[in-house]
Amino acid sequence: MIDELELLKKDWQKKENRHPKLSYDEIYKMLWKKSSSIVKWILIISILEFALPHLLYLLPSARNSFKFYEQLGLKNLVIILTIIQYAVVLYFIFQFYRKFREISVLDNAKELMSKIIETRSTVKNYIIFSLSMILLLFLLVVVGIYLNDDIGTTYAALVEKTQKISPEKLKKVLMWSMAITGIVFTALLGGIYFLLYGRLLRKLKKNFVDLQQLDL
Amino acid sequence: MHKELEHKFVTELENNQNIVHKVCTLYTNNRDAHNDLFQEITIQLWKAYPKFRGESKFSTWMYRVALNTAITLYRKNKRSIPTQDYESVIFKVQADEYDETEEQQLRLMYTAVRQLGDIDKALVFLYLEDKDYAEIAETLGITEVNARVKMNRIKTRLKTILNP
Repeated sequence: MIDELELLKKDWQKKENRHPKLSYDEIYKMLWKKSSSIVKWILIISILEFALPHLLYLLPSARNSFKFYEQLGLKNLVIILTIIQYAVVLYFIFQFYRKFREISVLDNAKELMSKIIETRSTVKNYIIFSLSMILLLFLLVVVGIYLNDDIGTTYAALVEKTQKISPEKLKKVLMWSMAITGIVFTALLGGIYFLLYGRLLRKLKKNFVDLQQLDL
Repeated sequence: MHKELEHKFVTELENNQNIVHKVCTLYTNNRDAHNDLFQEITIQLWKAYPKFRGESKFSTWMYRVALNTAITLYRKNKRSIPTQDYESVIFKVQADEYDETEEQQLRLMYTAVRQLGDIDKALVFLYLEDKDYAEIAETLGITEVNARVKMNRIKTRLKTILNP
């Protein structure tokens, strides 16, 4: 019995001329179409991820939050944290740019995949860092409320509305609600992010694992 | 200058378009997706064309870009639903060209090949295109030994499909 694959090869090569034929003009038109490769999607989504948290500061409510930190006595700490945060963000953007430029369709399949995954993991680390910062900020607010002896002045408006509640109890309620909001908010953002990316890179990761297993 | 480059590229691609069609046939299962992938490969080839220095043949260079696009860069278009009626010419096996056993064998093998994973498909594709193991290994980024081992495993699997 002849090698089955040889039979297949013979058949495959016999059909060489039965493929569809596109004309010169049809191919020419394709040059100007937009790519929808995952590399392009990674770039678009990453830019959004880098930009969005910072665009939030343009909202008046976010700008006013500094006053809120000041009242809690956290102003200096928040300023220092913000400076550190921007330095780290810049570092991440630089790393992302460097790795992104290295992606080339001319590499072999394995190199191409691992470069895409590396680029992506830079953004993943950035997201983990950002989420930790959000959680840290909420934690700081909780500590700030705890250390604040004069909660009545800081939240004058709130106290007026809730006169029946003792300041001690109000403090506890505020601390708990801040802590819960912080955790839910971080978990929600993280959940959305990892779902989105899980979907985008599912095929790539599977193929990468398949390729790696070949070399075991 | 740019116009010249465009003309040169489109002409070369027009003459070698079979390679892209074959990759599209293996990696998609309906006409819309075939055209979609063909377009994406064309875009990737065109983007990389300035880096093509003619050190290798245009066709050799195309294999790498086309496979990389199909395996890694291409995202399946959601709009394209697999259609049952679509059967590419490649997979059509006609009785008058073969005896009955051969016809049956080919049918089974094409079905088996289409069910392989993306990486295995790439291996089989390059093999069917008569590439040597050095080139197969180089395109995928694995060692030549492993390319051989893997190919032998696929052969064995095809044998079991044909002779259960």
